[in-house]
Amino acid sequence: MANDLNQSIEMAGALIGGGLILGGGAIGAAIGDGIAGSQLIAGVARQPEAQGRLFTLFLITVGLVEAAYFINLAFMILFVYVIK
Amino acid sequence: MSAAVLAEGIEIGVHPTATLFGLTFNLDTILSTVVAGAIVIGLGLLLRSRVTSQGVPGKVQLFWETIVKFVEDQVDGLMGVKVAPYTVPLGVALFLFILLSNWIELVPTGHHLPAPTADANTTYALALLVIVWVHVASIRHNGIGRYLGHYFKPVPALFPLNVIEELVKPVSLSLRLFGNIFAGAIMIEIIGLLPRYALWLPNAGWKLFDMFVGVIQAVIFTLLTITYFSLQLSSSDEH
Repeated sequence: MANDLNQSIEMAGALIGGGLILGGGAIGAAIGDGIAGSQLIAGVARQPEAQGRLFTLFLITVGLVEAAYFINLAFMILFVYVIK
Repeated sequence: MSAAVLAEGIEIGVHPTATLFGLTFNLDTILSTVVAGAIVIGLGLLLRSRVTSQGVPGKVQLFWETIVKFVEDQVDGLMGVKVAPYTVPLGVALFLFILLSNWIELVPTGHHLPAPTADANTTYALALLVIVWVHVASIRHNGIGRYLGHYFKPVPALFPLNVIEELVKPVSLSLRLFGNIFAGAIMIEIIGLLPRYALWLPNAGWKLFDMFVGVIQAVIFTLLTITYFSLQLSSSDEH
C-alpha cells in the first residue's frame, strides 16, 4: 500500500518533470528560430540577391537551435519511460 | 508499474539483442548499419565502374561530384585543403552514411530496419571517432606543447571553460543527431496509432519533414566536423 503510493508519487513527479522539460525546450527553440528568421528577413530585405547564402546559414542555425530542443526531448523520454 | 498510460504498445528503446563475451549488441541497429554502409560502398563502386573524365558524366558521377565539391568548398573556406586533405573523404563518408542512416527508417519494412542513428550507441560511436581524430590530428600537427597551449589561449583564466567546451563537443554532437532522429521515429509510431483512414495524411507530411530533418542533421554533422578540425589545425598558421 505504501509502496503503491510511493510509485504513484514517483510517476507523478516524472510526468511533471517531463512536461517542464518539454515546455522549456519548446519555448527556447521557438524563440531561437524566431530570432534567426527575423534576421534572415532583415538581411534579405536589405540585399535580395543574398537570399541563397542567407537561407543556407538560416537552415544551419535552425538545425543547431532545434538540437537543444531534441536533446530536451530525449531526456523527457528518459524521465517518463525509463525511470520507473 | 507501466508508464504507457496513453500510448499503448509503443516501446521505447527496445531492440532484439545478442550477447557476446558479456557485451550486448542491438541486432536490428547492426543490420541497419550494415545495410546503410553497403549502399554507400555500392554507390562508390558503381561510380568507379562508370567514371569518365572525357565525355558526358553520368548521374552517379554528378551526384558524387556535388557532394565532394560541397565538402571540399567548406574545407577550403575554413583552412585550405592542403592542411588536412583527409578531412574531405571523411566529410563525404560521414555525410553520406548519416544521410542514408537517417533515411533508412522511412522505408516501410515493419520494424526490421530502424534508423541506426536513432540508437544512441551509433551516434556516440560517430562522435567519438570524430573527436578522437581531431585531438590526435591536432597533437600530430601542432606538437603536444602547442596543443596544450590551446587550452590557455585567449586568457589563461579561461582554462576550465576551454576544458568544458572540449568535453561538451562529443556529447552535443552525438545527442543532437540522436535526439532529432529518435524523435522522428517516435512520432511515426504515434501517428501509426491513428485509424487507418486518417493516418495517411499526417504520415506523408511527417515523413517528408523527417527526410528534410535527416538532410539538415547530416549537413550539420559534417560541417561541425570540418569546423572542429579547422579550429585545431589552422590557428597555428596566423597570417
